[in-house]
Order: sequence, then structure tokens, then C-alpha cells
Amino acid sequence: MQAIDHHAWTNRWRNRHPVEKLLPALTLLALTLALPPLTIGPLVLAATLLATVRGAGIPLKTVLSVLAAPAAFLLAGAPFLAISVRFHDGFSVQFSPDGLRLAVDTMVRALAATSCLTALILTTPLTDLVPLLRRVGVPTGIVELILLIYRLIFVFAERALTGRQAQAARLGYSSVPRGIRSAGWLAGALFQRALERAQRLELGLTARGYAGELRVLPSECALSWSRLALSMTLVGLIGLTSSLLARGLA
Amino acid sequence: MTVPLLTVRGVDYAYPGGVMALRNLNLTVEKGQKLAILGPNGSGKTTLLLHLNGAFQPTCGEIRLEDRPAGYDRRSLTDWRRRVGLVLQEPDDQLFAATVGQDVSFGPLNLGLTAVETRERVGEALAALRIDHLADRATHTLSFGQKKRVAMAGVLAMRPEILALDEPTAGLDSHGVAHLLDALQRLHEAGTTLVFSTHDVELAYAWADQAAIFQDGTVLRQGETTAVLADRDLLQQARLRPPLLLELAQLLPGPLLRSREAVLAQLQERLQG
Ligand SMILES: Nc1ncnc2c1ncn2[C@@H]1O[C@H](COP(=O)(O)OP(=O)(O)OP(=O)(O)O)[C@@H](O)[C@H]1O
Ligand SMILES: [Mg+2]
Repeated sequence: MQAIDHHAWTNRWRNRHPVEKLLPALTLLALTLALPPLTIGPLVLAATLLATVRGAGIPLKTVLSVLAAPAAFLLAGAPFLAISVRFHDGFSVQFSPDGLRLAVDTMVRALAATSCLTALILTTPLTDLVPLLRRVGVPTGIVELILLIYRLIFVFAERALTGRQAQAARLGYSSVPRGIRSAGWLAGALFQRALERAQRLELGLTARGYAGELRVLPSECALSWSRLALSMTLVGLIGLTSSLLARGLA
Repeated sequence: MTVPLLTVRGVDYAYPGGVMALRNLNLTVEKGQKLAILGPNGSGKTTLLLHLNGAFQPTCGEIRLEDRPAGYDRRSLTDWRRRVGLVLQEPDDQLFAATVGQDVSFGPLNLGLTAVETRERVGEALAALRIDHLADRATHTLSFGQKKRVAMAGVLAMRPEILALDEPTAGLDSHGVAHLLDALQRLHEAGTTLVFSTHDVELAYAWADQAAIFQDGTVLRQGETTAVLADRDLLQQARLRPPLLLELAQLLPGPLLRSREAVLAQLQERLQG
């Protein structure tokens, strides 16, 4: 989470308008879900890896490590799709070619879809994406709430960490039952803190003239239509190539 | 005599739950002054500062802005907060936006300024604290000292006449303190009146024109810093120790020296001579 956030804020594409990243990513995702996975999947994977590593300058290692967790899930789960269990004439476990195909398709499709979202979240901070919600009609109050929560997550993550360390230093986790009790206290204390913090944040914002709306200057990056057009063309080409390939293979 | 910018007259304040935090408190803030509010933990410094910009309303007594009692209706409060800026001790209590630049823009926008004016104010405030380079940084990735400066910039962007700061040096290293004092000095020279709370007597002695000594929610004495800090009985009553620099300066003949360098130079001269 912290690593993703760090790269989202510091990558080379940080100052590009979020729509330039959101739209191609979502279109690729849609293509991945709609077209035959064996042809579109590898293309999408290659495109998103190239974009994040070459384009946005995020280290390959980071991208792979973010992809690793969902990939491990898939590897563990997909083989079961290739196996069919029968209950006629007793019990038998069979390996079916159809099932194998299904397993491979599912894996490739899921991995490619994940890579689209990974590319998006590694290049775009959440706080750039959330204001777009306002444009599509989500009420201001809710958007402000999401942004405040995002900010407070980091404040509380720090508190939780230091609180845990302080408890551990006093042997609060030296046995399992004691650990559970300590964690409970910590959660209680954090809740209390959250309420106090909310009160003081209100005071702090009041001092700055808060009158019910958290208005700030919009970020200054302008939408580059030409860049958006270029990337959407590339996305279109990927879709076209993969459908042609699929037809050729069939 | 000119009317003080801000007068606190006979103020009592009880927190909900009944703790009497301020009792019959009197304080004046004159234009162009650097006023230190000195007192031990729990003596009511923070509570007082929250009264200075109308965040808290006294249970009893009044606060006057120049010659008029301050009002607590929406319009008066907006005007009051434009004139008196308050920087809280904990920067995380004042920062909420994703990036530094956006956060600093919050105050000016609340004053009803346009986007263009606001952008100018943001640039000016960041420059005043020498943190222009942080403008696009994510707020949550800043160090504590950087957050403190950003919180201050957020208030400065509203161009207050009086800047009130709660323990501005707490948690800063010596470099951070020097940097902060430089920035405050520049603001002071540009005409901003400064009020800050602290329990650092050395800081108050080196830096403030006036000091108000706090104890149990009331001001024991307000006056010229050297005179107030030389009053040993008073300091003892407020559980404060006299500043070491003052004690050394008192050992030297002649008028009281206030700068560390001057005192050290004199002492060295005497020890060698
Ligand atoms: N939210 C609150 N609810 C109830 N009592 C409070 C609250 N905040 C402060 N107090 C009490 O009011 C008194 C004055 O507190 P205040 O925070 O103003 O002191 P302070 O001089 O700023 O102390 P410090 O140097 O520790 O910051 C203390 O007795 C404190 O316990
Ligand atoms: Mg305090």
C-alpha cells in the first residue's frame, strides 16, 4: 500500500491529467474481458508493463511484486478448473482438455485485467481519481469524505504502528492471549483518538475559515487531447490486432 | 495611548464536563509586538489561543478587537479569522488536502478570493517559509518539521494581522527552530503581530518583546520580557526556571544583554582578562 502510494505520487506520469490514464486503462480492461483471452491477454500484459516501466518509469521489480500477490492466487486456484470430479461409477478425478483450456483462459484473462488496474494505481494517486467522481454526479460531501479518509488513513497507520511498538516494548505481545488483549486495547485507543482528532481537525479547519465545504484549488495539469488520442489509438490497435489474431487462429 | 489590537478582559472558560481552564484572564496584544505566552503544561495556553480567533467563546468576560467587542455571528467570525490567524501545535490537526499547494489554497478560497488571487497567495506563503519546492508534494509524505511549515503557510496565505502560534518550536530540531524564527522575524518586519505560546523560557527571553506568565488558567503578569523573566518569585510560582542566558547576563555589569553571542563574548573577555 505504502509502496504503491509512493510510486503513484512520484512517477514520471504523475502530472498528467488523470483522465489520460484512466480512460486507456479502463478501455484495455474492457477489451480484456470482451475478447478471447489467449490473444488479447499477452498483448495487454505487454502493453501495461511497457507503459508502467518504460513510460512512467516505475521499476519492473515493483510492478512485478504488485502483480505477484494476485498471480499467486490465480496459480493456486486455476488448476482446479482443469480437473473434473465425477461421481458416476464410483468416484473419479479426471483431467479434462476443456477444463485445461478454461483454466488457462481464466488465468490469462484475470492476470491481464489485474495488470490494467495495477498500471492505473501505480501511476495515479487516489486523490487524483476521486475528484473525477464529482464530475459523474457523486455528491460533493461523499467525495470530500473519501479524500479526508484517505488523508487520515496515513495519520492513523502511523499511530497504530507506534502504538503497537510501544505495547510490544512492554511485552504486550509475549503470548497469544496477551497479544489479542493488547490489540483490542490498541483498537479501542485508536477509536478514541479518531474522535478527538476529528474534533481538533474541525478546530484547525475552523481557524482557516472552514464553512462547511472543503474547497481547494484544482490541480493544474491540463488534459492533453493529443496524448489521450494517441494512447486510445494504441489501445484500439491492440484490440484490432488481437481480434485479427483470434480469427487467424480459429 | 493607542487602543491594543486585541484585548482579553476577565475571561473565564470551562470545558464541557466542567474543567475550569481559564479564570478571570486578562491580556492585551499591541500592534507590532512579539508576545510570548509562558506557562507550564495544562496552564491554559492552548485554550487561550483558541479564544483569540473565536474558535472558543468565553463562558464569561469578553474579547475586544481594537475598540469593539468581538462578535460570534458568522460574518464577524469570518472577519475575525481573516485578521487573527491561528497555527495549532499539531500540524496534522490543520492539514487535510492531498498536496501541499492544495492545502494552502484552502484558507484564501474560504475568504472568497478568486483562483488567480488564491494561486498568488499560495505562492507567496510558500515562499515566505522557503518551502516553494514542496508545492506538489503529497501532504502525508512530509516530515514533521515540513508539515509544521505547511500548516503555517496555510494560515499565512490568509494574510493575518495577528499570527498566533501554539508551541511553534515544539518537536523541531535546532536547525528547524532557527529556520522558523527567521521566517517569523521576516513576517514581523513586514508588520505582522506575533503571539506564541511556549514553555521554553530561553526562546521567550531571546526573542519576545513581551511575556505573559500563565498559571492555572490566569495571567500572573504581563510585561516587558526582561522585567518579567527577572522576577524570580513569579517564575517560581508558575513552576518555570529563569532562562540561563538571563542569569548569566545578570552576572555581567551594565545593561542586560539578550543575545547569546553578546553574553558569551563578554564572559569570555572576563574569563581571559
Ligand atoms: N478538550 C478538553 N476537555 C476538557 N478539558 C480540557 C480539554 N482540553 C484541555 N483541557 C484542560 O484544560 C486545562 C488547560 O489546558 P490547555 O491545553 O489549554 O493547557 P496548555 O497550557 O496548552 O498545556 P500544554 O503545555 O500541555 O499544551 C487543562 O487542565 C486541561 O486538562
Ligand atoms: Mg497546549
